[in-house]
Amino acid sequence: MRILIVEDEPDLLASLAQALREEGYAVDTAPDGEDGFYKAENYDYDAIILDVMLPKMDGWEILKRLRKTKKTPVLMLTARDQSRDRVKGLDTGADDYVVKPFDLAEIFARLRALIRRSANQTTNIIEISEIKIDTARRNVFLQEKPLELTAREYALVEFLALHRGEVVTRTQLYEHLFDENESSLSNLLDVHVSNVRKKLGAEFIVTRRGHGYCIE
Amino acid sequence: MKIFKSIKWRLQLWYGLILVVVLAGFGFTAFQLERGQVFRGIDDELNRRADILGATLHHPPRREDRPPPDQLPEDQFPPMLQENRAPHAFHLRPEDEILFGSNDPHNFYFKIISIRNQNDEIAKSTNQPPNEPMIEAHFPQPKNSFSPFPNQFAKPVPRTFAHYHAILKILPSGEMIEVGCSISNELEEIRNDAIMLTLIGGVILLIGLAGGWWFVGRSLKPISEISLAAVKISAGDLSQRINVAEAESELGQLAAVLNSTFARLEAAFAQQQQFTSDAAHELRTPVSVILTQTQTALNREREAADYKQTVEACQRAAQRMRKLIESLLALARLDAGQEMLKRLRFDFSKTISDCIELVKPMADERGVKIFSELAPLEITGDSERLVQVVTNLLTNAIQYNHDEGEVRVKLELQNGLAILSVSDNGVGIPSEDLPRVFERFYRADKSRSSGNAGLGLAISKAIVEAHGGTIEISSTEDVGTVFIVRLPI
Repeated sequence: MRILIVEDEPDLLASLAQALREEGYAVDTAPDGEDGFYKAENYDYDAIILDVMLPKMDGWEILKRLRKTKKTPVLMLTARDQSRDRVKGLDTGADDYVVKPFDLAEIFARLRALIRRSANQTTNIIEISEIKIDTARRNVFLQEKPLELTAREYALVEFLALHRGEVVTRTQLYEHLFDENESSLSNLLDVHVSNVRKKLGAEFIVTRRGHGYCIE
Repeated sequence: MKIFKSIKWRLQLWYGLILVVVLAGFGFTAFQLERGQVFRGIDDELNRRADILGATLHHPPRREDRPPPDQLPEDQFPPMLQENRAPHAFHLRPEDEILFGSNDPHNFYFKIISIRNQNDEIAKSTNQPPNEPMIEAHFPQPKNSFSPFPNQFAKPVPRTFAHYHAILKILPSGEMIEVGCSISNELEEIRNDAIMLTLIGGVILLIGLAGGWWFVGRSLKPISEISLAAVKISAGDLSQRINVAEAESELGQLAAVLNSTFARLEAAFAQQQQFTSDAAHELRTPVSVILTQTQTALNREREAADYKQTVEACQRAAQRMRKLIESLLALARLDAGQEMLKRLRFDFSKTISDCIELVKPMADERGVKIFSELAPLEITGDSERLVQVVTNLLTNAIQYNHDEGEVRVKLELQNGLAILSVSDNGVGIPSEDLPRVFERFYRADKSRSSGNAGLGLAISKAIVEAHGGTIEISSTEDVGTVFIVRLPI
């Protein structure tokens, strides 16, 4: 899952990005509104964390413009706590609204909920034949036995599981599993796919030649 | 007693008392006047008769005018005693006879006594009043017994007894004439009038009391309106105002004063609320930095270097909060007038050039050049605080400037005022933002990334005004900004 954080306070941006990366997300950052809007429009993020008070273009503006073209789930993060600000945010197109200062654990849970909802998932548990994926705890179980997966491998499994039945192109996988700071070498992806097959079974991920991968 | 605590009742009571006294006084006076008038009338009648009697006594009617008594028919006998057939027997003229007797409800009677002859009766009418007190009783003994005509009786002396009224007249010839009449009619009339006056007075009193009650109630109505508004205000609704219908009266003035007080209260509360929420708001970001940094750091085991970074970030945030707290406290104290400004004489131009030195590194970083033209000038004030002001203006001029921009600082004396102007050719401020520039927490760029809470100009303004000066701004977008500070020296 790839997240964009748009926040002008550098210390906050840095530690939030780090926390999310350690949670297994690929994270892009933007320190001002213009940069944030550009990235949000041009890349497919699984969720955007958006501050309201930004230089160059404020959060309301970004949201308004973004909603013309994109359906990305947006979580507004802001110091403005008045009810009317929340109403304005949610009505302009945000999917959630969190007031600073916030608990990290809460941000994580809300992100998960947003991502779950956009995949039409209702719970944190995804079951595919004998494999159980707990998206909250980031665990995968095969026949009730926990599996050891690297962060990247888990991210791959989770993404494909959440898009179960769809064919996911390699490009998409690159875009959603790696952030802007990482170079995406094409065979890196293949390595991860083959590792996952080793651990979860060769039929788990199906290759559609010329199109991409999918979980059925 | 509760009644005496109420102003309305007290007013009513006093008013009622005064009304009673006035009415009683008036009624009594009217009564006395009428009574006097009535008695004067009676006295006139009595005097007239006394005069006639006196005249008749000394000038008895000629024999020819009257037939000898034994030739008169019985019923024509005047009501006179026949026994006293002295040579100067007293006879009334016929036409005077109707003055006495019962042909008049007054029943005039007379009696003539000779004082010389030991109060011998000379003549009297037949209709004497019963139970008449002895006349002697009223006569004080003359001091000088050789003077048989005590001159205190030069005027007719009135006497009243039972329902009769009489006068006593002493003639110089030594007779005393008493003429009297029944005043029972008059007494009754007077009594009736008295009752009438009392009744009317009572009705007037009642009407007056009722009118007074209504009027007092009306006049005091504004007071209860005022208390009602005050009660609502103390319950928390600061937007209440008293309806001032009559602006000029004393109560109207009171209401006006109270209204303006309530308005100031409301404004002060609103400002305080705004300030508190702004302050809390400003603290949110540094607190969330600390929270997120520490929560992230504690999520797993880290290297010392990572912890160090986290701790440094927390320190930066804490410094920001410290600065914010200082600024807020300074503002609060300036607001409350608690900031004791030092009043010392110092060289303002030197102070300003020191400030310029201080900000030079920051200016150099951005290639901004500072030009100064400072007239040597001494002013009285708090140099530390004015340093704050100058530094704030300089840093603003540098920050909101282009790279390689210019800042011009000028100090001069004009009309007894020190005029400091700080101008830059930077980004300027949009005209719609200009009036708000000195507001607390107001920032031209809405974000907070520069670590600037937006209090600098608000504090500068407060300090300048505490010195009795003024601060103004003028600006054109993309052209530049000028701040002008005027301070009394």
